[in-house]
Amino acid sequence: MRQPDSTSRLNVIARAPFNVYYEGPAEAVTAVNKVGKFDVLPGHADFFSILNPGEIIIETATNPVSFNVTNGIITVRDDEVYLFVNI
Amino acid sequence: MRRASAIEREAEQITTVQDLTSVFESLASTQVAKIKNKVTLSEEFFQLLWKRYSSIRIDPSLRITNRDANGEQAKKVFVIISAEAGLSGDIDQHLIETMQQDLDMNTTDIIVLGSHGANQLAQRNIPYVRFFQVPESDHYIDVSPVIDAILPYSKTIVYYEEYVSLGVQEIKSIDLISSVRSMSEDVDDNVEEDVMTAGNTIFEPSLDEIADQMEVTMMTLALSQTILESSLAQAASRFNAMAVAKKRAGELLNDYMLEFHRAKRSESDGRMREIMVSLKKKRKHAGVNR
Repeated sequence: MRQPDSTSRLNVIARAPFNVYYEGPAEAVTAVNKVGKFDVLPGHADFFSILNPGEIIIETATNPVSFNVTNGIITVRDDEVYLFVNI
Repeated sequence: MRRASAIEREAEQITTVQDLTSVFESLASTQVAKIKNKVTLSEEFFQLLWKRYSSIRIDPSLRITNRDANGEQAKKVFVIISAEAGLSGDIDQHLIETMQQDLDMNTTDIIVLGSHGANQLAQRNIPYVRFFQVPESDHYIDVSPVIDAILPYSKTIVYYEEYVSLGVQEIKSIDLISSVRSMSEDVDDNVEEDVMTAGNTIFEPSLDEIADQMEVTMMTLALSQTILESSLAQAASRFNAMAVAKKRAGELLNDYMLEFHRAKRSESDGRMREIMVSLKKKRKHAGVNR
C-alpha cells in the first residue's frame, strides 16, 4: 500500500465533453458523491465514484479552481485524478 | 425586349440574394470551425473516459447492453439525426433514403431528432414513434431523454451524417448498443497494471452501479458524438449549398447585367433612331419650304 507523501501532488484532469476546466498539478480535490462531501489528497487510495450535483474545488498552488457540476465520474489512481463532468 | 429600368430592379434583388447567401456562407463556415473544435474536445474526452471505463472488470452477461429484450420491447429502433432547420442542402433527404432501404415497419420503430428529418418522414408518410429537437448547447448535449427512449429496444441503429471534408459528407449508421458492448469486450486483459477491481479500488456506491452508470455514459457519449458529427456535416452541407447559391446568384447577376446593357443600348439606339428620323423629317420639311 502506498504511503501518503507530503511532497507529492495530484495530477488533475477535469473535463466536460466540450470544456477543459483544469489540467495540471493540485494539492487537493473536493467533490460530492452519494455518501457526501469528500476530499482527495496526494496518496489517496485508488478510487472510482459517481458524482452528485454540487461544487468541485481543485486546490492548486496558486488560486483554487471551482465549478459546479450536474453529474460526473471521478477516478483516482496513483495520484492521477480524472473528473469527467456534465456528461 | 424588357425595359432597362425593370431589369435593373430585378438585378438589385439578385444582388440582395447574393449578399444574403454570402452572409449565410460565412456563418456556415464559422459554424464548421466552431463544431470542429467541439468534435476534437469531445473525442479527447471520450478517449480519456474510455481509458477508465476499460480499466474496470465486470461480468459481460450482467451488462445493460447484454440484457434480454422480450415481447414488444424486442423491436428494433432506428434513430435518425437530422438538422433542426432547413438550408442544409439535400443531405437529410439522402439520410432518409438510406434509412428507408433498411426499414421494415413491422419490426422497427423510428425515433427522429430534428424538425427537418421529421418533415421529410411526414412527406413520405413514414410514421415515427418519438420526436426530439436536436439537443445542442455550447456546454454539453443532453441526450438523456433519447437514451431513456431507446433503452427498451433490443437494437438501436443510429443514422447520421458524417463530415469527411468541407466538400464531402456521407451517410453513416452504427449499432449503438453493439458498439458499446464490443468496446467493453475488446478490452485487452493483458494490460493488468491498469485494471481496477473491487480488490484494489474503492468503488462508491458499488462496482456494479458504477459499471451500469459508465455503460449508459458511454452510450450517451457515443450518441452525442453522432449528433455532433451530424451537426458538422450539416454545417458543411449548408456551406456548400450557400456557396452554390452564391455562385448561381453571381451568374444570374452577370446575365441580368448583360441584358440590362443590351436593353440600355437598344433604348439609346431607339432614341437615336427617333432623333434621326425627326431630323430627316425636319430637313425634308425645311427643303420643301425653301
